[in-house]
Amino acid sequence: MSFSLFRQGEMAVLLALGLVMLPLFLHLPVWLPGLVLAMLLLRGILQQRQHGLPSLWLLLPLLGLSVCGLWLNLNTLIGREGGAALLILLLGFKSFEARQLRDWQVLLALGFFLTAIPLLFDQSPLSALWLVVSLLVLTWAMLRLSGCAVQTPAKVAVQALALSLPLMLVLFVVMPRLPGPLWSMPHEQHQAATGLSDSMEPGSISQLVQHNEPAFSVVFDGPAPAPEQLYWRIMIFDDFDGRRWQNVGGLSRETVRLQGGERIRYRLTGKPTRSRLPLLDYPLAAPPGGGLEPGHLLKLANDQEDVLRISAESLVGSHYQSELSRSDQDFYRRLPPGNPASRQLALQWRSQGGDGIGFVREALLHFRLGGFAYTLSPPLLEGDNSIDAFMFSTRQGFCEHYASAFAFMARAAGIPSRVVSGYQGGQFNPLGHFWQVRSTDAHAWVEVWLAERGEWLRVDPTAAVAPERVRQDPVRSIPALQTQLPVLGRQVPAWVLQVQQGWQAAGFAWQQWVVGYDATRQLSLYRWLGLGDVVDTAAVMRALLCGAVLVCLPLLWWWRRHPERLPLQQGRMLLERALLRQGMVILPSDGPLDMLNKARKLPTPAYAQLKQLLKEYAAMRYQQAACSPQQTRLWLRRVRHFCADLTRRK
Amino acid sequence: MLPFRKQLRGWWLRRLPLEAICQLGQRRIYLLPTRFGLSLLLVAAAVWVGALNYAVSLAYVLAFWVLGLLLVAVLMAYRQLAGLQLQVVPAEGVFVGQSAECRLQLRNPSDLIRQLQLQSEHGGELVSCTLAAMQEQPLAIALLLQKRGWHAYPAIRLWSTAPFGLIRAFAWWRPDASLLAYPLPLPDREHQDCHHENGRGRNHGDDEEDFSHLGEYRQGDTPRQIAWSVLARRDVLASKRFASQPRGQALHQLAWQDYPALLDLESRLSRLCWRVLQCEKAGQHYRLQLPGRVVEPQPGQRELALAALAEFRLPT
Repeated sequence: MSFSLFRQGEMAVLLALGLVMLPLFLHLPVWLPGLVLAMLLLRGILQQRQHGLPSLWLLLPLLGLSVCGLWLNLNTLIGREGGAALLILLLGFKSFEARQLRDWQVLLALGFFLTAIPLLFDQSPLSALWLVVSLLVLTWAMLRLSGCAVQTPAKVAVQALALSLPLMLVLFVVMPRLPGPLWSMPHEQHQAATGLSDSMEPGSISQLVQHNEPAFSVVFDGPAPAPEQLYWRIMIFDDFDGRRWQNVGGLSRETVRLQGGERIRYRLTGKPTRSRLPLLDYPLAAPPGGGLEPGHLLKLANDQEDVLRISAESLVGSHYQSELSRSDQDFYRRLPPGNPASRQLALQWRSQGGDGIGFVREALLHFRLGGFAYTLSPPLLEGDNSIDAFMFSTRQGFCEHYASAFAFMARAAGIPSRVVSGYQGGQFNPLGHFWQVRSTDAHAWVEVWLAERGEWLRVDPTAAVAPERVRQDPVRSIPALQTQLPVLGRQVPAWVLQVQQGWQAAGFAWQQWVVGYDATRQLSLYRWLGLGDVVDTAAVMRALLCGAVLVCLPLLWWWRRHPERLPLQQGRMLLERALLRQGMVILPSDGPLDMLNKARKLPTPAYAQLKQLLKEYAAMRYQQAACSPQQTRLWLRRVRHFCADLTRRK
Repeated sequence: MLPFRKQLRGWWLRRLPLEAICQLGQRRIYLLPTRFGLSLLLVAAAVWVGALNYAVSLAYVLAFWVLGLLLVAVLMAYRQLAGLQLQVVPAEGVFVGQSAECRLQLRNPSDLIRQLQLQSEHGGELVSCTLAAMQEQPLAIALLLQKRGWHAYPAIRLWSTAPFGLIRAFAWWRPDASLLAYPLPLPDREHQDCHHENGRGRNHGDDEEDFSHLGEYRQGDTPRQIAWSVLARRDVLASKRFASQPRGQALHQLAWQDYPALLDLESRLSRLCWRVLQCEKAGQHYRLQLPGRVVEPQPGQRELALAALAEFRLPT
C-alpha cells in the first residue's frame, strides 16, 4: 500500500482510527481489537475499489454476534473494559455505514473519543506519547477529510496542535479538579493485586522481594530519619495457626498514647492495596480520607485502587502505650498446639530474663549467636512443628521466618505479641529529592506488649541476625538477592545507578505533577502562585486571565509571522548573500544574467554550477506554468548546498 | 428552522451597506462551529467529564487539547476570509428569463491559500474557488431575472470551513451594482424592417465601410476588427466598429406608435426589442422612438436602445 493512498480523506480516517486503537491490544482480549482492525482494513479495500457496502441485514446480525462474543468473553458490557470493547465494535460497524462526509466526520469524532480509552488503563509517559501521536494523526486525517487546499496537512496539523498546546497546559493547571468521583464505577476484581498479602506464611514476603517494583514514594518535610528508623507499617497479624499468620481482627478498639519521639511530616504517594497505605510508625493522626484502625494502622474510607497522595505526620522513635485488658492479653497469647521444644526454650528465656524486656534481650541474643543465617532461599519447613524445625534444625530464613518464630516464642513465654508487616527502609533519590520504597524493602517484624510498661515494643529479630538489613539496602545485604534479582536490581556501576535514579526521578515527577495532579496539588499550586487560598470562581478567573497572556503569545507570533518566502525568492536571496561574501554586489534589479555576469570571477566549477542554477531559476521564474512546487524546493536545496560549498571553499 | 428566519435575514441584509469594493475585516466576519465542530466539542466535554470522574489526568490533557484545537481552528477559519478583497465587475444586460451573471473579482492580498465558497442570498448555485497566494480571480454568480428593468445584485454569502471543517467563517456582502434585464424579444412579423442581405452583418468589415468608433470587444468580432495598437498600449481588448451606411439606405423607424393602442406595454416593448435586435443583426440603421425618449443612430446604439426599452415607463 503506498502512502499516496491516504491522500484520500476517507483512507486517512481509517488509518487514524487503526492507529488510535493499537494500545487496546494490551488491555482487551486480543480478538476484539484484531476484529475491528480487520474490519477497518476491509472497509479501506472496499473504498479503494469503489465497491458497494454490505447491506444492513448482513451487518446487524454480525454486530449482534460480536456483542454476544464480547459478553461471553468479558461478562460485561459496561465499565472500563466492557465499554471500551463495545465502543470499538460499534466503531468498526459504523465504518461500514459511512457513505457521506458527515458519516466520516462522525467516525473521526469517535476516534478522538477512542483516544481517551487506553488512558483509563494506563497513564505512563508512554501512553502520553501515544496520545500525542494519536492526536497528530487524527488532526492530519481531519485536514485530509476536509479536502482543503493545504499542501502540507502534516505540517498544519503539527502547527495547530503546537498552537493549542499552551492553552491545553493552562486549562490543565487551572481548571478545577474534583476531590472525589461523580459516580462510581463497577469494580473490576480480576486484576492481580500486587503488594503485601493479607496473611503471612513462609515465602510470602521473600517472593515479593524478588519483584523489585516501586511500592511507594515519600517526600519528607525537613531532614529524613535514619534508614534504620524507617519502619512503614501496613498490617498486623494477630493469629497463628501453626503455619500461617493472619489478621482476625481480634482487637475491636484501642486507646493509644504516643510518648516521646521526633515529629516527622511527610507526603506519601502510592497505590492503596485493599484500602491500605503504609505509614511511618507511629502516625499521630489519620490523614483525610482515612482512619486509624486498632493497631494504629491506616485504613482508607473508600475502596479505590488509583494512586493516592497523602500528607501525614508521625512520631519516630516514640513509645506506643496502650492498655490491654486481660482478655485481650489472652488473645495475643493464643497458640495452636505443637512445637514443644520451642515452647520450652521460650519458658527458659522468660525465667532467665525475668520480665518482658529481659525475655526480649535473651531471645535476641539467641538469634544473634545461635548460628542463624539470613537467606532468601531457606530449606522448606514441613510438618506441624515448623517453628521447632526452624529454631533447632534449619536455622536459615528470611524476615518472615524470624518474625514468625519470635512472635511464637513470645506467646509461648506468655508475652502478648503480634507480627507486623510493611516495609523497612527506602532509597533516597538525590535527583528528585524523594525516597523510593520498593517491594525489595518489604519486611516483617514483631511487636510485643510489655505488661510492666503498658507498651507495645517493636522488636526486629531480623536485625539481630543481619543488622545490615535495616541499615542499608536489602539488595546489598543479602548476597543471594544480587544473583536472583534482575540485572538492574543488583549492585551496579555508578553510572547505571545514576541513570536508574534519573529515570526514577522522572517517573516521580510524572507521577507527582501529571498523573497525580489532583485537587490538593492544584490548591497548593494556586497558593504558591498567589492566585488564591481556595480554588473558587474568582481564583479560576484570575488564573485563566494570567494564562490567557501565556496562550496568546505563541498565537500572536504565529499571526504576525512573516509569511513564508517562496522557494525561488529565498534561493535568490541566498545566492545574493553568498556572492556578496565573495565581494560581488548583486542589486535587486539584477536579473539572472546580470548575476552570472557579475560572478565571472568565480572558479570555473563553481561558475558552471551557478550558471546551471541560474538557468533553472530563469526557467522556473519566467515560465511558471512549467514548474511544480516540488521542483522549486529541490532547486532551493541545491542552492543551499552551493552556497555552503562556496563559503567553505573560501 | 426558525419560523421567521427568512424575514429576519432579509431585514438584516437590507441593513447592510451597499459597497462596490469591500475588504473583509473582523467587523463582518462571523464564525460559527459546523456540525462536525459541535460534535468534536461534545467529545471533548464527554472526555472531560470522564476525566473528572475517574481522575485521569491524561484524559484532561486530551479534552483540553481538543478544545484548544477548536479555538485554533476558529483563528484559522477567520484567516481564510480576513483581508480578502471583493469587487464588482460591471455586468452585461440580459433578456428577461435568461440567467444573468453577477460578476465579481476576488483578490487575495496575502500569501495564504484560501478556499472559499460563495452563494447568492436566494440560494441557487454554489460557487467554489481556491485562491492561491496573491491571486486575483473573477467569479460569476448566476441569477435568473424574471422582470424587465434594473435589478440590484443579490447579497452574497462567502464562507469557508477550511482547513479543518470544524468552524465555518462567513461574511455577507451587498455589492453596489445592478443588472439590467431587457424585455423578452417577441417576433413581430408585421413590422419586418430589415431585409436580410444574405445574412451579411455590418461587422464583417467591408472595405468600403468607414471607421466609426472603438467599442468593447464582443464575442464574434474578427481578428481584423481588434484594435491591436490599443491592446498593446493599454492591455484592453477593443474592437473597431465601422459605420457602414451604404448611401441611400433608409433609416428604419421603430416606434411605439406602430402598434394598436390595445396592445399592452410589455408586448409592445418585447416586439420593439425584437425589431431592434433584427436591425442590429442585419446592420441596418434605425431610430427607436418611445414616448419621451428617442434613440438615434450612434455608437453603442444597441445597448442604449435596449436599455431604453428595459427602463421604459409610461409617462403618467
